[in-house]
Amino acid sequence: MLALVFKNFIRSKGTKVGLLFLLIIGFISLLIGQQFQQKQHKNIIEATVYQKEHIARNASFHKDEMGLLLYYVKFSLVNKTFPLNSLAIGQRDVNPSIQSVTIRGLEGQKYDSELNNPSNLLLGNLDFSFVLIYLFPLLIIAFTYNIVSEEKESGTWKIVATQSDNTFLYILKLFYIRILSLLALVTIILIIAVILLNIPFDNSLLTFYIISILYILFWFTVCFFMVSLQKDSNFNAVILLTVWLFLIIILPAAINTYIVNKYPVPEALELTLKQRNAYHEKWDMDKKTTMNKFYSHYPQFKSYVLPDEEFSWLWYYAMQQMGDDESAKQSLELQTKLKQRNQTSQSIAQFIPTLHTQILLNEIAKSDLENQLLFMQKTTAFHEKMRLYFYPKIFDNAPVAKENWSEFEVETFEDKSQTNLIKSLLPLVIFNIIFIGLGWMNFRKNQQII
Amino acid sequence: MSLHVEILIAKHLKNSAFKNGAVFIITFFIGILLIYAVLSGWKNYTNQNEASEKYQHESREDWLNNPDKNPHRMAHYGNFAFRKSTSLSVFEFGMEPFFGNAIFLEAHKQNTANFSEAGFSNSMLRFGEISTAMVLQILLPLLIFFLGFNSVAAERENGTLKLLLSQGISWKQLLSGKILGIASVVMMLFIPVVLVLVFILLLLQNFAVTLDETLKMIFFIGFHFLYLMFFCAIAVLISASCKTSKKALVSLIGIWLVFTILLPRTTQAIGAYIYEAPSKIQFNSDIEKDILKQGDSHNPNDPHYKAIKDSLLAVHKVDSVQKLPFNYSGFIMTEGEKISSNIYNKHLESLLHVYEKQNSFSKAVSLLNPYIAMKNLSMALSNTDYDSYIDFQKQAETYRYDMAQKMNALQIKYISNKKDKPAVIDKDHWAEVQEFHYEPKGVLSVLKNEMVSVISLFLWIILLFILIRFASKKLKAI
Repeated sequence: MLALVFKNFIRSKGTKVGLLFLLIIGFISLLIGQQFQQKQHKNIIEATVYQKEHIARNASFHKDEMGLLLYYVKFSLVNKTFPLNSLAIGQRDVNPSIQSVTIRGLEGQKYDSELNNPSNLLLGNLDFSFVLIYLFPLLIIAFTYNIVSEEKESGTWKIVATQSDNTFLYILKLFYIRILSLLALVTIILIIAVILLNIPFDNSLLTFYIISILYILFWFTVCFFMVSLQKDSNFNAVILLTVWLFLIIILPAAINTYIVNKYPVPEALELTLKQRNAYHEKWDMDKKTTMNKFYSHYPQFKSYVLPDEEFSWLWYYAMQQMGDDESAKQSLELQTKLKQRNQTSQSIAQFIPTLHTQILLNEIAKSDLENQLLFMQKTTAFHEKMRLYFYPKIFDNAPVAKENWSEFEVETFEDKSQTNLIKSLLPLVIFNIIFIGLGWMNFRKNQQII
Repeated sequence: MSLHVEILIAKHLKNSAFKNGAVFIITFFIGILLIYAVLSGWKNYTNQNEASEKYQHESREDWLNNPDKNPHRMAHYGNFAFRKSTSLSVFEFGMEPFFGNAIFLEAHKQNTANFSEAGFSNSMLRFGEISTAMVLQILLPLLIFFLGFNSVAAERENGTLKLLLSQGISWKQLLSGKILGIASVVMMLFIPVVLVLVFILLLLQNFAVTLDETLKMIFFIGFHFLYLMFFCAIAVLISASCKTSKKALVSLIGIWLVFTILLPRTTQAIGAYIYEAPSKIQFNSDIEKDILKQGDSHNPNDPHYKAIKDSLLAVHKVDSVQKLPFNYSGFIMTEGEKISSNIYNKHLESLLHVYEKQNSFSKAVSLLNPYIAMKNLSMALSNTDYDSYIDFQKQAETYRYDMAQKMNALQIKYISNKKDKPAVIDKDHWAEVQEFHYEPKGVLSVLKNEMVSVISLFLWIILLFILIRFASKKLKAI
């Protein structure tokens, strides 16, 4: 029986075209992911080479002034791109994965954006997560919207009903075949991905796979519920497409607008003005005031007394430091707001499977806002580390040649945050159970009609 | 020619549409969404522009309040360009969330446009946004398809089609009547939108709109109207050519998905895949290399600058730069700024060229896809498209260059080469640099830029007229 159901399903031209289409576009998405991966990889190599040349050149120009040299020299921190990232590019195209900073004021450098074609950003990446979240449901709807209803409309349902002992079981079989074929498809695409993108077999990949399966099942349960209502095919198609539209476009967009308006970030612009003034006004102020503030931030440098000259690097870097110190409040507020944005959207997303899946996939692939915020934090720590290392050398005007400059290589930040498996899978599981339950109840209620 | 029959058919369709519960609910929902879209667009616009104006003003005050100092300090103090939106962007957000909102403009350095909404969002934003334009361009066509899929096909299934045709109604009358009927339902949403749009635009301008804005608004409304009518016609034509309403529905949904979801993203992705753009680090290091080739003003032994120095000394017949009648380092910085800006602009041009090639796929496909054509056109009219953003960045860069060179000129003129007196100039000079003001592209240049889209929409309309004529002759009742 099952074999026949399968044959009947796979023989249809629409089925073949649909599956093939999804396979091809899935494959294209992997190619795009591969290109993304190569580009990220190339960037890191370039950054490494560049930093080496850049430091060597500047060190040879400014041999006798440590302070002047450090005015120019940039150090890079890389936000590690995991292979899984190619499957869910997320926000990694908007945000730079490499931060290059001098030890001068950080707030003026931290938010420098990546070079981007806004048209690409607007239309979004055609990555695997897009194929999974947008296109799989469409095929699921196309495969299931006319189960039962089509046979009723063509009059063959009565034959099925009389020939089978249990029509409910028959319907389940129809679903079973369709579920299997789409799960097979997603598995094939992911196997190709593993080979093509060198994705290691680890927990992240497993979680990624489980989420993909649960998400596909979610759409099947929605369709199952729809079929259980036993309306005609046209009605099913219209309603299912409307549901898709709501879950994929309207609800996420509405929630995004809500969050943006609820947590506006004027701090960003305020911050940028503040740090500019805080540093520049010090040029026209009493040097002592600046130095006292600097000493109270870094008591360990109190022993460095301001030389009796018009200009000194100690004073210069103290002024630069003030740009950061005096805009710290706005900077913290901005970070807090962004965290709030992230948390609010995560908690709302639990109730919207599409959004939840998208956020989860990006979280696993380390391409979400949280990763970006973490990277910013690490950049701050990295900057501080470089600062504290070079401050005494500048204030002492340590000989440039004595420093082993080749040691300053590009550093890498690896986001090791773990995803809470139960908390993240639970919403999808619950939705699946609810729709199966509702659908099953409908079928039982309507048993006599079948 | 009397349109009596057509109007009769249209009225009939309209009445039966609202008897259908599902259609009523969907229409109602779209209405609610439109209200939401307008309100959030309005709020967004006010937030954006109030912030932009406030900080533009504040930064200007800060600039003017600087005490007497060395002009080069001021060139590093710098200015900001804050992006402002046009009033039509209340209805069409376009690429705005991906635009940086502030550029810091200082000497020697072309900074990136920072603080885009997208950088502050999680991936939710990537699902799209609800703007009035999005509802008009994506949701209304789907509603039209839901309204129209059974307009003719159902009559065929019921057998009423034969009755209609045998009563002397021609295919042409039937098709136009049905199109009119669907249009009249859609207009119940569209006309209020137009009224609200016009009202809000007037309100935002304190009822004193410029000609340019009025034209943009009229084009915005006019093209959307054509676009919607186009979908009404497609719905009826497909319905008339399909044997069953189910087949019509499936075909129409397919068309909608391909037009609005699949094609836009796929074509852009292909463009981006084929023409790979350089990363920031590559872009910057290429510029640095070229500048070094030309001459590094920070390298005391650079041959290019040494040659300049030698010739200056020779012309003015002095033996050291301190004895020159003008400020030497100001002169050198003028030269350095000129060289580095030229090189930067050259690299920027080639980067933009890559972007344009990436976009060219979408542009070409807009001939085949009225959705892309409409989207590009409405983004252009609301100055939220790619070109407007590049234009903003270019205006900011021009301003930056002028500011830096103005400060260098002040240094050349007023600062002494010798360290005998403090190297500062009077703060009154700061006002000589004008405030940054962004002038959005005018309607003519917008239309010229989006000629492909305009042609596309008109070609589609013509094609539909031909198809209706053709169908009127070829269609069969059974």
